[in-house]
Amino acid sequence: MEAGVMEQLKQQFGVRATDSLFECGFYSRDMAPVPSLLVDPLFNTRPDIVVRPVDAVETAGILKTAFADNIPITPRAGASTVYFNSVPVKGGIVIDLNLIAGIEDIDEAAMTVTVRAGTTWLELEKYLNPLGFALKSFPSSAPAASIGGWFSMMGYGIGSIKYGSLLSQVQSIEVILPTGECRWLTNDTKPPLAWFAASEGTLGIITRLTLEIRRLSSMKHFLLAFTDVGEMRRALESIINAPVVPYNLHFADKRYALAMQSLGFSPSDTASSCTLGIDYEGSRAELDIVQNMIIRLFGDDRTIRLFPEEEARQEWTGKFNALRLKRGGPSVLGGEIWLPVKTLPGYLADIKKKADCYGLDLISYGHVVTRERAAVMTLFYTNETRIGSYILDLAMVKKIHDVGYRHGGWPYGVGLWNTPYLGRIFTLPYLNELRLRKQMLDGRGIMNPGKLYRAPFFLNPVSFAVGMGTLAAVRRITGRSGRR
Amino acid sequence: MREIITKPFTGMEDEALICGRCGYCRSACPVYNVVGWESATPRGKIAKAKEIFSQGKHTELSAEFVQRMAQCTLCGACAQECSTGIDTRKMWLELRKRIAALGREPKAYKALRDNLQEKKNISNFSNDERLEWAQDLDDPAVLKPRAGAAVGYFVGCVSSFFPQAAQVPLAIAEIFSKVGVDFTSLGGEEWCCGFPLISTGFVDEARQFIRHNVDKIRQLGIHTLVASCPSCYSVWKEDSREALQGYDLEILHTTEYLVRLIKEGRLSLQEIPETVTYHDPCDLGRTSGIYDAPREIIRSIPGVRFVELPHHREQALCCGGGGTLQSVDAALAAKIARLRAGEIRSVGATVVVSACQQCEQMLTAAVREAKMPVRVLDVSQLVLEAMD
Repeated sequence: MEAGVMEQLKQQFGVRATDSLFECGFYSRDMAPVPSLLVDPLFNTRPDIVVRPVDAVETAGILKTAFADNIPITPRAGASTVYFNSVPVKGGIVIDLNLIAGIEDIDEAAMTVTVRAGTTWLELEKYLNPLGFALKSFPSSAPAASIGGWFSMMGYGIGSIKYGSLLSQVQSIEVILPTGECRWLTNDTKPPLAWFAASEGTLGIITRLTLEIRRLSSMKHFLLAFTDVGEMRRALESIINAPVVPYNLHFADKRYALAMQSLGFSPSDTASSCTLGIDYEGSRAELDIVQNMIIRLFGDDRTIRLFPEEEARQEWTGKFNALRLKRGGPSVLGGEIWLPVKTLPGYLADIKKKADCYGLDLISYGHVVTRERAAVMTLFYTNETRIGSYILDLAMVKKIHDVGYRHGGWPYGVGLWNTPYLGRIFTLPYLNELRLRKQMLDGRGIMNPGKLYRAPFFLNPVSFAVGMGTLAAVRRITGRSGRR
Repeated sequence: MREIITKPFTGMEDEALICGRCGYCRSACPVYNVVGWESATPRGKIAKAKEIFSQGKHTELSAEFVQRMAQCTLCGACAQECSTGIDTRKMWLELRKRIAALGREPKAYKALRDNLQEKKNISNFSNDERLEWAQDLDDPAVLKPRAGAAVGYFVGCVSSFFPQAAQVPLAIAEIFSKVGVDFTSLGGEEWCCGFPLISTGFVDEARQFIRHNVDKIRQLGIHTLVASCPSCYSVWKEDSREALQGYDLEILHTTEYLVRLIKEGRLSLQEIPETVTYHDPCDLGRTSGIYDAPREIIRSIPGVRFVELPHHREQALCCGGGGTLQSVDAALAAKIARLRAGEIRSVGATVVVSACQQCEQMLTAAVREAKMPVRVLDVSQLVLEAMD
């Protein structure tokens, strides 16, 4: 990056811009502990400069500068993903969006809130609740994930099964296009706002959103335990097809329950069971109907254990803390799969086989986010300080994705690390459509380059499959894993 | 409300590896909220600590990292939010200890240690002048060290030597005298509790101070100790356990003792028609778990309209004065205090009460700067007002 441009940005933004090697290093990673040994020879993840604009105007100014000089731009807010979605791969400018935060307006008549994109979901929910409002849905990483960040991902999480994807709730967005042009987009504009959902910051930078909210209501929580996955799936289908739609539906396999219990986090003895947490929101009358429905569906079934409501409520209050599993690590690796609900038992059965085959302890849990799909996280413990074994363990992530693929699933989110699976995630016509959008809006390719559209050379599907397959074979032969 | 379970600290290297870099700590951190850079986030600091200590990259221990480690109020808000249950406050203390062991601590820390070793208190005054503040009492001799007193009052350095904070021990001594509490102090034999040394990484040096104070309490045969400084209180409660082994000492914060006096009917409180809010000191709340006692005291005063601040109890914002931050970055501490002053303004309180002389100093400066018509009082001052 040209020294003159860096100086210009530093002068313009003062203490809100830095090119310090120390500081820029902190922006070269997200949640994923990928060893420098693998990353550094392939990608330039350290930005040349990090800038923290306070509003759309300043953001537009940075993009105009970048556009003029073809400088890569990487937008970043919570950085609470694991696929390097908000990590640069070609240096350039990282735009830290955390100062573009705060709630601007609530429209009670329209039941919408206008919020700046760097606000976290938990901050927005905490703002809305005392006013008698609530979010329709939010991510399970709500304390860290930003409004704009989740919209730029797929936007499915807690509340989605009842209220749909975030895209379906967003009425308009303010976006800075790569040229620096600021636009308000709706479903009727050209381009429509839908182009920016799940675009992972590759088309522009979202600075404001207007999204639908709901009236705050009472909740009722249920926690069920099953001795086998087949029973759990039948229960899931009963719940999904019942007249009252749950607000949140999350499940965990036996290994998850065992791990949580061994770490002292389980509310009760769930160690030999798969669990299903069901959370409803609505009026008192609706919740009474739900209570009767659950009793009717599961009350007489002696193979199903219905936990006391207090334990179900505790499960709900721990909804943001699945990562506490990491205490059993110290490190974890895994994959998040966008899986058909109907294939969940088959997926979990095959995951168990894979675990036995590779001597892995695979733990699975997830959320049912539509009537047909679940976001399933399958992970295993490893130790990132044992670099050799850890790299062998990375091959197991592909094995998890392969099991998911066989059951109709694909990775949830792309970023950099899931680009080898692009052919699984998108049909070719749709991928071409996405590439066309990219070409139309960012022909120079400055917005978050290296993500979403094409696998870099070292991650192309063929060489990736060969490389990972070799590592997996070595791991299987040597029996080495990071954990040991 | 989120379910938070902080787990026992298993060691710096292990806990640094457990950190998932989720960033839940970010929004809660007062330093990050002012500084704004990723290197100021708890997750950022843990990631760097992991590189340096868990992965053995000691060359990464840069001056910038040392500065970031010093820019922490030890408020514990990050521990409250941590999704993996890391006791981050212990993490920061351990890291400061490691940095000091490598001789890389900030100059201000060294100066503080040297001064403490010479003076036995954090001021430039001789420790013999510990009871100078008591000259404003009708009977200063009441504080003279006396064996066999029912209660030993541990005053703390800030309240002993800084005139603004002296209103706290004066109020406590007056309340105790009016109620007839049989109390004493350690006088010039009270040394710093050791917290400034612990918080700057000089844990071994702190032990000498802890042992000295414990020995003096034993010599006076005191079995109930009351501390008005939450940091002193936490040192007595947690860090002095080993030195106190085999000695029966009840350790109370003044708020706990005042609640006891109220419940025993020994305090008669008159009406105060004010809107009062309460600022939870981090070392009293998150570190020591005392949230109810100060609120019980305030609510027991007739006429008081009590309002909570937006962030209170476990979620309370720090005043900026903790963790010895002022000694290395006073401007940052003041900016953090301004955030809290903004919350005080939002609830329309006419009086903000706290239970820590450091918080009260920080908040007084912040509300004065913001020209807010708000009085900042220690809970003991409020009680004394209600007794008059």
